[in-house]
Amino acid sequence: MHCGRFIDRGLTRRELLSRSANGFGALALATLLNEQASAAGGASLPRAHFPAKARNVIFLFMDGGPSQVDTFDPKPRLTREHGKPISVKTHPTQFNNVGAVLGSPWKFRPRGASGIPVSDLFPHVGARVDDLAIIRSMVSNFSEHTAANYFLHTGSGLQGRPSQGAWATYGLGSESRDLPGFVVLNGGLIPPGGIDCFNSGFLPAAYQGSVFKATGAPVANIAPAEGSAELQKRKLELVRALDQGMLGRVGNHDAIEAAIANGELAFRMQTAVPDLMDTRGESAATLRLYGFDDPYLPTQIYARECLIARRLVERGVRFVELLCPSVGGDRWDQHSGLKSGHQNNARAVDQPIAGLLTDLKARGLLETTLVVWAGEFGRTPMAQGTDGRDHNPFGFTIWLAGGGVKGGVIHGATDDYGYHAIEDKVQIHDLHATMLHLLGVDHKRLVYRFGGRDMRLTDVHGEIITPILA
Amino acid sequence: MNARESIGERGVRAIARGALLVFFTQAWGFQAGWGEDKTQGSVEYFEKSVRPILAARCLGCHGPEKHKGGLRLDSRQAIMTGGTSGPAVVPGNPSESALVDAINYGEAYQMPPKSKLPASEIAALTDWVKRGAPWGFEPSGAIAGKPVAAGDRLSAEEFRERARFWSFQPLKRSAVPRVGMGRPGWVRNPIDAFLLAAMEERKLEPAPEADRRILIRRLSFDLLGLPPRPEQVAAFLADRGPDAYDRLAERLLASPHFGERQGRHWLDLVRYAETSGHEFDYDIPGAWGYRDYVVRAFNADVPFDRFTTEHLAGDLLAEPRRRFGTGSNESILATGFFFLGEGTHSPVDVREEEMRRIDNQIDVVSKTFLGLTLACARCHDHKFDPITTNDYYAMAGFARSTRIQHAVIDSPETRMAAIRRIKALDQAVLARVPPARPAIQPATAGEGELFEDFSGPSYGGWFVSGEAFGDRPSQAGDARLAWDRSGARLRPVAPGIAHSGLVADGFEGVIRSRAFTITSRFVNVLAMGRGGRVSVVVDNFEKIREPIYGSLTRGVDHGDSWRWVSLDVGMWKGELAYLELADGAVADFTGATTTITDGQGYLAVDEIRFSDARAPEAHEVADHSLDLDAVVRELDKVNSRRAGELSRALEQARSARDQLPRPTLALAAADGTGLDEHVHLRGSYRTLGEVVPRRFLQVLGGLDQATAPPGRSRLDLARRMIDPVANPLLARVIVNRLWRHHFGEGLVASPDDFGAMGKKPSHPELLDWLATELIDSGWSLKHLHRLMIESSGYRMASAPVARYEALDPGNVSLHRMNPRRLEAEAVRDLVLAVSGRLDPRMEGPSVPVHLTPFMEGRGRPSRSGPPDGEGRRTLYLGVRRNFLDPFLLAFDMPVPFATMGRRNRSNVPAQALALMNDPFVAREARRWADRALDRPASDRARLDDLYQAAFARPAGDAEAQAALDFLADRAGAGATPRDAWADLCHVLINTKEFVFIE
Repeated sequence: MHCGRFIDRGLTRRELLSRSANGFGALALATLLNEQASAAGGASLPRAHFPAKARNVIFLFMDGGPSQVDTFDPKPRLTREHGKPISVKTHPTQFNNVGAVLGSPWKFRPRGASGIPVSDLFPHVGARVDDLAIIRSMVSNFSEHTAANYFLHTGSGLQGRPSQGAWATYGLGSESRDLPGFVVLNGGLIPPGGIDCFNSGFLPAAYQGSVFKATGAPVANIAPAEGSAELQKRKLELVRALDQGMLGRVGNHDAIEAAIANGELAFRMQTAVPDLMDTRGESAATLRLYGFDDPYLPTQIYARECLIARRLVERGVRFVELLCPSVGGDRWDQHSGLKSGHQNNARAVDQPIAGLLTDLKARGLLETTLVVWAGEFGRTPMAQGTDGRDHNPFGFTIWLAGGGVKGGVIHGATDDYGYHAIEDKVQIHDLHATMLHLLGVDHKRLVYRFGGRDMRLTDVHGEIITPILA
Repeated sequence: MNARESIGERGVRAIARGALLVFFTQAWGFQAGWGEDKTQGSVEYFEKSVRPILAARCLGCHGPEKHKGGLRLDSRQAIMTGGTSGPAVVPGNPSESALVDAINYGEAYQMPPKSKLPASEIAALTDWVKRGAPWGFEPSGAIAGKPVAAGDRLSAEEFRERARFWSFQPLKRSAVPRVGMGRPGWVRNPIDAFLLAAMEERKLEPAPEADRRILIRRLSFDLLGLPPRPEQVAAFLADRGPDAYDRLAERLLASPHFGERQGRHWLDLVRYAETSGHEFDYDIPGAWGYRDYVVRAFNADVPFDRFTTEHLAGDLLAEPRRRFGTGSNESILATGFFFLGEGTHSPVDVREEEMRRIDNQIDVVSKTFLGLTLACARCHDHKFDPITTNDYYAMAGFARSTRIQHAVIDSPETRMAAIRRIKALDQAVLARVPPARPAIQPATAGEGELFEDFSGPSYGGWFVSGEAFGDRPSQAGDARLAWDRSGARLRPVAPGIAHSGLVADGFEGVIRSRAFTITSRFVNVLAMGRGGRVSVVVDNFEKIREPIYGSLTRGVDHGDSWRWVSLDVGMWKGELAYLELADGAVADFTGATTTITDGQGYLAVDEIRFSDARAPEAHEVADHSLDLDAVVRELDKVNSRRAGELSRALEQARSARDQLPRPTLALAAADGTGLDEHVHLRGSYRTLGEVVPRRFLQVLGGLDQATAPPGRSRLDLARRMIDPVANPLLARVIVNRLWRHHFGEGLVASPDDFGAMGKKPSHPELLDWLATELIDSGWSLKHLHRLMIESSGYRMASAPVARYEALDPGNVSLHRMNPRRLEAEAVRDLVLAVSGRLDPRMEGPSVPVHLTPFMEGRGRPSRSGPPDGEGRRTLYLGVRRNFLDPFLLAFDMPVPFATMGRRNRSNVPAQALALMNDPFVAREARRWADRALDRPASDRARLDDLYQAAFARPAGDAEAQAALDFLADRAGAGATPRDAWADLCHVLINTKEFVFIE
């Protein structure tokens, strides 16, 4: 039995469906944050607590858990002891099929001026290593995808808590008038735990992540139901007239007036969203930079996600999260077939991510945009079976770039096997605290009263990772 | 950083002081006497090799300033005393010392938390412990030698102080204020008197009574969640009788849709869902039975104390309520709510997963019934309320002693009659055949520890669910009549077997063992059967499947021969578990989707052993069954009349089996072995504190609660919960919820939190008056609904008056009605109602969720439900945690994760976009238009019909003109009348008046 190996159910067919008359749905649009509109919720928005280094966040979610020892955390001991039993006590794992030590199939090389080693899985990102702050001592509290996904996204292993993007937009609002403040680009893989990874939990619905599909119709209910824009305009005029009549009768109630204002915003979004997704104005060089011309379809999809991420940032969208495209086999969850699985997943994202970093920097946006690359956990140094790796939350690697972090640095370390973080351990809560800090928000003061408690993204934890701050 | 540096300096000073003190030992005296080596050499050793490490690495959190976990490491005595989880060091024994385990990043602790110590320092501290943990010098008076109080414990005084908080005080029925003299007729009942008194105090005037059309729309949505039909509006307007309003209210209170509306409110509290979310969103079989129970209970006005008891212990009631008509057990259905939470797919740590489920159950029970946040006391005593961790784990014990079952709920009389009938018909067969030869006991060759051999006269320590296993194991002389491929057979059954087919194969049931601790590698079960299932349930974990858990369950399907079924439980040594022997009536998670196992076969179990070896193949036992078809044939040769009789008797016995109806199953709680829980220090089961007996919260149940009799303890909990004298919260919390549904905001604005972090009541006397009125009425919720809706306060108009808005900005004093946007369900139901598509059918399995292309992810059902949900009310649409309906979410239907007594009322463009562009809305608009056009009438009359259906009023002249102009425009643009009217209907759905009630 698998741990839910992703089975591609035919993205193309779905894409087709989504364009047909029946294609609708999307809770996505539940979000569409606009400050005037959300003010009707009665929540007063806290402003930044101190000057921000970053205005926006692009969160590159590496669904499934990439292996630290095959990407950014070289462990020669694995190669030396390849095929031998591991000589430390192992923890229970998701599959409990513990095999021998598994050396990395990829070579590590020093890259950039900093000479930080990055494996051959990431040649393009490796070339940008001087922009990265690599954290090799990340830990999580959960070994199962769903709980770990909720934890990485919401600071709690349970369903129903607000996502980091929801907290960020709740705290800072959005700078976009026509788009939601928290957008998730769906390249094909909705992670285990589903859309609740991006939900607003007990925060008002305005802060939910809006899930936009990277290709095809981006979101439900965005295309006017009417055949012509003219007709829709005429209908909305009548709606407006009738609503004014109601206000005249019942008096000026905030809730009703705000609902009317929302209708206006919804109308604007119908053009703002297609405009966002329309990349025809981008130069051929830009498209090449991101990897649009790569023959590999998943690379093309992720290239588009990365480019749209930049366009979202340009439009003032506060928090952007990118989901991986399907490479046919599985997400970064190689319980077996590590070599081909990781190769394909890396191929899909490597050049687009490097392109994004390059492009942001060239446009002067990297300084104010925090880019975070993270999976929900890492993978075991010993094999699962013979050629896979199981889940490992005890020590793994993530990296940050831009938006107020140092480039070309390594923070923390794992043991010789790359199994446990042993130096400068970083908790998910610390990552959240740091992201908020860079956005100018004190994670201890960003609170929302729910169920008798002042809730925080970082619960009662979180320390800022000061050594990586620029 | 600063803190760390200063501690470093302090450490250095301490070293210097230690060195100095070597010379003054006699004068200062020592802390000695723990058997430590106190020679000069050991002191030096400590000061040189150990103290610097402690000072630099540990004292920041376990020193003079902070004592995390109640632990200090700055004196030997403090180390020996340890923290909340016991001594930190066992001198001379590193492997028993928590400190050594922690610095090696063991199971319980990993210290220091940020980075593991360098190997040299780990070696030094280990060596120090091995040497007996010698200490240096320190002045006897100055050391922090006394046990450090765990910082997270509530003192008795503080507890008493907090218990004085208003919500814990006994209910007080205040005198009704004598007001309203200048306003004859306004005070219709005491609610009005309390409201008016508060208004007068703030110099406010109540708003005038709302228009009758507004009143009927308001009442209809509040009570039923549906719009009034135009003829109902007309009848109400025409009714000039003085009690027209009261009769309208009575009619609505008696409508079966009342329970649907109030039931949906209740489902928000118990995080109702039909799947368990997480990775694959497995079904929770039978969840909808709970939903229907709630609807029926509110319609029948089941007293709320009874309703509460049924939730906590409906499976234990000696005389459950029986459902009218069928006689099935109604009360037991309530307990299904325990199991509607999230559930993890293949958790790596099964015990932690159990505590996660229990935490959610505790959260839901305490918020729903008590308005208390008991879950805040999982790791430490509550920060604000008189609730302790002991309270939390006392309640956790109930949850841990409670198991999930799919109970057979049919009327026992009906089922017994079927059993008697089959037995009698079998008797007629047996009387006509030679006695069966006794069955041969299987040669067990059992190894290992015998857990059970069913040799007793009853099931003893087993918990029996359903009817298949009867009330005892087999006894000498038992035989069963069964039909297989070879025909009818009489099968003798050896004594001492748990057998689910003694009466007939069609019955379903499960027997569950007492809880035991897993000590061996295998649980070996000697079994036979068809369609049976044997499982080991570890820490109440129900979703047994691969990966990880696959070895804990086996189907038994090999037929009528004894075989050992081995369950590999080696991974869970030390965990608590129970055995489940099932013939139907259990959920099977081994496939891609959850199913309830079929109870058509049988399961027989002879013995159960715990062993470190997989059991060998059992010996085949000679088949002593009697081929009854052969008997008929033989008999026919000598006596055809008797052969015919036997053949007919067989036929009757068989057809009685065929006619046996499938039992009705219900998701429910079952009592297991009573287990008291330890306090989990800082919320972790790895660090256990004292054992707390199961009991109710002390602040509500008293400090000394007698231990409940075993097996009935949840009943005892329920008894304490509904005691109106000891527990004023049950009544206060529920009347506040009803108030919120009628007036828009609760008297306590935080309906799930009546604690110190919650909101204070706006009208405390009114709240208590309502609560006592509820109790005095015999806990009739309908009585309370009636009081609220008949009040003048409820009938007020909502239009704001600037002068009063300034005096009472949030309308806290309720000087007018609050206009409200309809809830998600009501919006969708209203669309269906106006279009004529609404199907008023009640109850039953949910309509599958309609899946849009934007609803993706693991566990996505293979088939989508219809876009219009078959026209059923929203209550009956499936609630799949990972595939919640986007339309409903946009309108704030809650994500079902915890009690949600106060839905968000957000205002997001998604709502406008859904009403503008969702194809469901457009289609219903067209259906609505078609219906309007099918009636011959003038355009103006048609327009009025639309307005009556949607707004309970005719169109105003200006509105009518605007609409007719619109139609003319559309016609001018070439639209057909049907298209034009569909557009107009779509416009009406998009007006604010459609989704707001005044």
